[in-house]
Amino acid sequence: MTSQQLPPGLIGARTRRKEDPRLLTGRAQFVDDVVLPGMLEAAVLRSPHPHARISSIDISAALTVPGVFAVLTGHEVRDACATPQPVVWRMIPDQRMTDQYALAVDKVRYVGQPVAVVAATDRYVAEDALGHIEVEYEVLDPVVTLDDALAADAPLLYEDWPDNVSCRQTIPKGDAATAFAEADVVVTETLTYGRQMGAPLETRGAVMSWDPFTDHLECWMSTQSPNLTRDLLGEVLGLPVDHIRVRTPHVGGGFGNKFDFYAEEVLAALLSKRTGRPVKIIEDRLESFVANAHSREQRIEVSVAAKADGTITGMRGTVWAVLGGQLATVGIGPCWLSMALMAGPYDIPNVEATVVGVVTNRSPYGSYRGWGQPKANFAHERIIEKLAHELGLPANDVRRRNLIPADKFPYPSQVFYYDSGNYADCLDMAENAVAERGWRKRCDAASNEGRALGVGYSFHIEISALGPSKIMNQAGLQHSSFDEEVVRIDSAGGVTVRTGLSAMGQGIETALAQVAAHTLGVPLDSVTVLHGDTQTNPFTGYGTGASRGAALGGGALLRASTRLRDKVLRIAGHVLEASPDDLEIADGVISVKGAPGGPSITMRDIGDAAYRRLDGKLPDGEDPTLEERDVLDPDNVAFSYGTTAVLVEVDRETGRVDVLDYLLVHDCGTVINPMIVDGQLHGGATQGIGGALYEEIVYSPEGQPLTTTFMDYLIPTATEIPRFETLHMTTTADHIPGGFKGMGEAGTIGAASAITAAIEDALPDLTLHLARLPVSPPRLLDAIDVATASKENS
Amino acid sequence: MKPAPLDHVRATGLDHAIETLVAAGEDAKILAGGQSLVPLLAMRLAQPTTLVDLGGLRELDYIRDDGDTLEIGAMTRSRTVETSPVVAGAVPLLPAALRYVGHVTIRNRGTIGGSAAHADPAAEVPSVLRALDAELIASGPRGPRTIAARDFFDSFLLTTLEPDEILTAIRIPRQPSGSVVAVEEFARRHGDFALVAVLGAAHIDSSGRIAEVRISIAGAAPTPVRADAAERLLVGRTPTPELVRAAAAAASDATDPGSDIHAPADYRRTLATVLTRRCLTRLVADTERTEAA
Amino acid sequence: MSTPTRTGRNVSMTVNGEAVDRHVDPRRTLSDFLRKDCGATGVHVGCEHGVCGACTVLLDGRTARSCCTLAVQAEGSEITTVEGLADGGELHPLQEAFWKHHGLQCGFCTPGILLTVTELLAGNPDPTDDEIREGISGNICRCTGYQFIVDAVRDAAEILRGTGTGTGTGTGTDPTR
Repeated sequence: MTSQQLPPGLIGARTRRKEDPRLLTGRAQFVDDVVLPGMLEAAVLRSPHPHARISSIDISAALTVPGVFAVLTGHEVRDACATPQPVVWRMIPDQRMTDQYALAVDKVRYVGQPVAVVAATDRYVAEDALGHIEVEYEVLDPVVTLDDALAADAPLLYEDWPDNVSCRQTIPKGDAATAFAEADVVVTETLTYGRQMGAPLETRGAVMSWDPFTDHLECWMSTQSPNLTRDLLGEVLGLPVDHIRVRTPHVGGGFGNKFDFYAEEVLAALLSKRTGRPVKIIEDRLESFVANAHSREQRIEVSVAAKADGTITGMRGTVWAVLGGQLATVGIGPCWLSMALMAGPYDIPNVEATVVGVVTNRSPYGSYRGWGQPKANFAHERIIEKLAHELGLPANDVRRRNLIPADKFPYPSQVFYYDSGNYADCLDMAENAVAERGWRKRCDAASNEGRALGVGYSFHIEISALGPSKIMNQAGLQHSSFDEEVVRIDSAGGVTVRTGLSAMGQGIETALAQVAAHTLGVPLDSVTVLHGDTQTNPFTGYGTGASRGAALGGGALLRASTRLRDKVLRIAGHVLEASPDDLEIADGVISVKGAPGGPSITMRDIGDAAYRRLDGKLPDGEDPTLEERDVLDPDNVAFSYGTTAVLVEVDRETGRVDVLDYLLVHDCGTVINPMIVDGQLHGGATQGIGGALYEEIVYSPEGQPLTTTFMDYLIPTATEIPRFETLHMTTTADHIPGGFKGMGEAGTIGAASAITAAIEDALPDLTLHLARLPVSPPRLLDAIDVATASKENS
Repeated sequence: MKPAPLDHVRATGLDHAIETLVAAGEDAKILAGGQSLVPLLAMRLAQPTTLVDLGGLRELDYIRDDGDTLEIGAMTRSRTVETSPVVAGAVPLLPAALRYVGHVTIRNRGTIGGSAAHADPAAEVPSVLRALDAELIASGPRGPRTIAARDFFDSFLLTTLEPDEILTAIRIPRQPSGSVVAVEEFARRHGDFALVAVLGAAHIDSSGRIAEVRISIAGAAPTPVRADAAERLLVGRTPTPELVRAAAAAASDATDPGSDIHAPADYRRTLATVLTRRCLTRLVADTERTEAA
Repeated sequence: MSTPTRTGRNVSMTVNGEAVDRHVDPRRTLSDFLRKDCGATGVHVGCEHGVCGACTVLLDGRTARSCCTLAVQAEGSEITTVEGLADGGELHPLQEAFWKHHGLQCGFCTPGILLTVTELLAGNPDPTDDEIREGISGNICRCTGYQFIVDAVRDAAEILRGTGTGTGTGTGTDPTR
């Protein structure tokens, strides 16, 4: 199963990261550290109403505030833009689009929607000026919840629509109706996943400088998708892309939130055009809770048909997507993926899944790490647990009976071909590890003391290595998803890799350097990775997301480096008068295999031979210079997967849940840097724990967001998070050079499923079916009370 | 999130601070450690025209123990109070509670007076002052006055300080020697404001009876709650699980919690019962251990 | 930078060993002052309301949230930011340990955590894992899941105590060293 096994070397090594010294010393540049001569700072006036018509806006007083240079309103922005804000994922051809501009024109549809924007000498003055803008609103009835939106007499967000439904699509596989009709048992559940967001610690931001003489736009942006951003800026602003340069400094966390394309970058560009000065716009934390893409919130109806032995024969599901007041860049994308992956890792012959996109007066729904998959996972893992309970079987027995067997890959799911996997082995490995660690004994011992501990499992799959561009185009993506990488050896033997991927904490500099150094046989320190500039670096389709950087960037770079290595060996063979096939490269020195102490030549000499003193060294027919580029547009996506096991303690009197231990068994194909992979798993799992127990964006019944600070939106701290343990399997992706699969989102996907199962396991005397996230202490206490009452009544 | 325009006056003495406060009128605010006020300024939820900064008033930064009473200057940093052996010896409940105030970094800057005057009902310091029958000393243009803690906390974030008065010190009666203390706090994350916290102090006599007990509850009403009825049930009695349960129920009855996104009122009432029971159980258990030792 | 809308004030303080005298708007936060007026861009602003800890600096040797402190409040004080931790070209042992143990990903929270841990270890040179977790619980990290931070702190503590080579746990061999 590991047919792409690479020889030992830097690929697979726990190397320290190349990016760290500057991050550790305060020398790394983030977007708010960019300062340009004459630069102004902007602030956005946002709607205080969830749903209202804008009757009038008076900016005259704001313009008189000393230090204010410009104020823009919706009509001016619409007139200045060639298109509305783009939606790049259009999976459902007849979807009703919302076509909104960077500032609201005539109507606002969520609290926080931008209404006006100010550029001033600095942020303090810009915020002062916001207080002098007079907006008159005609307040409309808000549509706050999914049920509000679907009500027969619901107010319409878009008056030219018949209702508040933007889209609906059903994708069938097999014959679900027959499967349900012939089932021994059918179980059904309705799940509610809370509204959450990525909340990177660095908020979003941009610095835009529009040259009025040439109409060239220089951008510094904290973005995961610099090339996509450049193309979208070009579309919206009506500029040719060669007039736009996007530079991406260090990104202080992205988590999908910085994949999307937002209003603020357009506004800063237009303010720069208006004032002739560079304009910086940095979202503050309060704004981030309404201006950043929200995610996760769905109601999912799911049911399975099964035989008495636990074999699942059919699945039905409906994803109700609680979209916001307008579509974000990714449209229905994440919710569509929840629908498309609802069967998860299970071999279910008959599936009928539906997604319904519903607009509400909430902030737009966009990307967050996991992108639809945590919800799909919650659906298939919750229903497995419920089925197991119904049949009186251990949940892992039901899982094992239904996991896709290794010999069925590539496996056709509802939509995708899963490339490879050894799912059952992964589950076994987790169960064995849990047994070895004695978690069950800890539960029993605690039970004797009157404490409630429980163990829960989940199995997850993760779509990665996105993906084949033409297939993604057919699926509705209005962009490509290949990756281009360039590698060059300079005249002194140093290696430079150029990439279009963004460095956002995932260690892409180190991972790419490891691939290049491993392939070229040079020390890691001799490799420099350049990123963050669309003008000088290659094109990455899509962006740095969808767990694709290491797989596609790594795969492309592996191929380019292999070809460059071949050229190096040809030159070395010429100089050493040996066949290139007989040579090897180690630590930057090329020598004859198996002849220690024999003739050799250094990479420095090769560089010299290719750039400077060519005569007698560069073979005839070889071009000078040492550079290769490669583009990887793979035949298929890849699927990583893993088992999550957690040990929790429940305080029955307060509903508090403490996660005591956390184990992940994971397979992402060839691992480039195990330390980085573990860090990604830990961080993803931590966000998953947050989503399971702590984090929720809450709206009042009137449509006001109530979680607008870090005091209310509860991101877990070190005291809420357990130690993690990770175990690894390697099943390579054989359609990706190197066999890499990608795994940046993995940790987020299975956390809530495992934690809810563990909570239920901790309370074996009660029949709990936890169906709503996050499981806050009051919610759990309510569920315990209800289950206790039901037990007493029965 | 940038503060609105304001004037800043660094007070050179208490009289100067009061004069400035009087001169600036109602839109002035007193700046102590700033840990609550500066975020409110940044959110523009507070837009004072003038900040009267007490940061330079060393005269309000002290801890004095006169034997019966501990007096702490209002500008004494929380972390200083928390780590003071004098405080630990005289009023052990105070450092026990301060450990739950935010994080060390917050306590490094936040002051004991600032926390009292901010009067957040979920905060620990106001509850300690209520539990221990502290007095608060204020100064204004009409001179100093003393306010009992029971009369000081008026409502949510409101005290009975006049707008031209400055809290200068708190006085806490020394706890009897042999007192045991316990804090049971339920917060969603370490360092968060409590959903509910129960602070207890007790003195149990040689016969095992509860000679004195003080219970206050944070986060369960617009002001800190003193559980008088529960205390009356307990005093003079030998603790039993039944008695502790009855007292916990009585303590919960004294609360008047509100609902917010973190917890509905009923849940907070339940917490008050559970945490009071746990707090009292610890107080009793501690005593048993102490006496056995 | 900001227009003094009211009476500006002069402030003097020491930032990473250098005397700084500036005329500031009294509403200017210490975090903005350090970042924009002193060039200490290693001070990161993550929430501006005192929860995330990214802006943590040492003020007279003790940690302070620079977003919850006005520049005028720091009059006469001695400030250390992350830029003041390393000694010339040599990383501080704490920085080395974070590097070795992968105690950072995006690095945005890292300056605040390093300074928080500096204070923690000064007061408690041999903390347990629980004490480390409590000690950094006022600093939000959205990337790492904290475990490798805890590993780094434990290892750095050992080195700073001078009781070991700081091999710690959680890392393997490092072929680049």
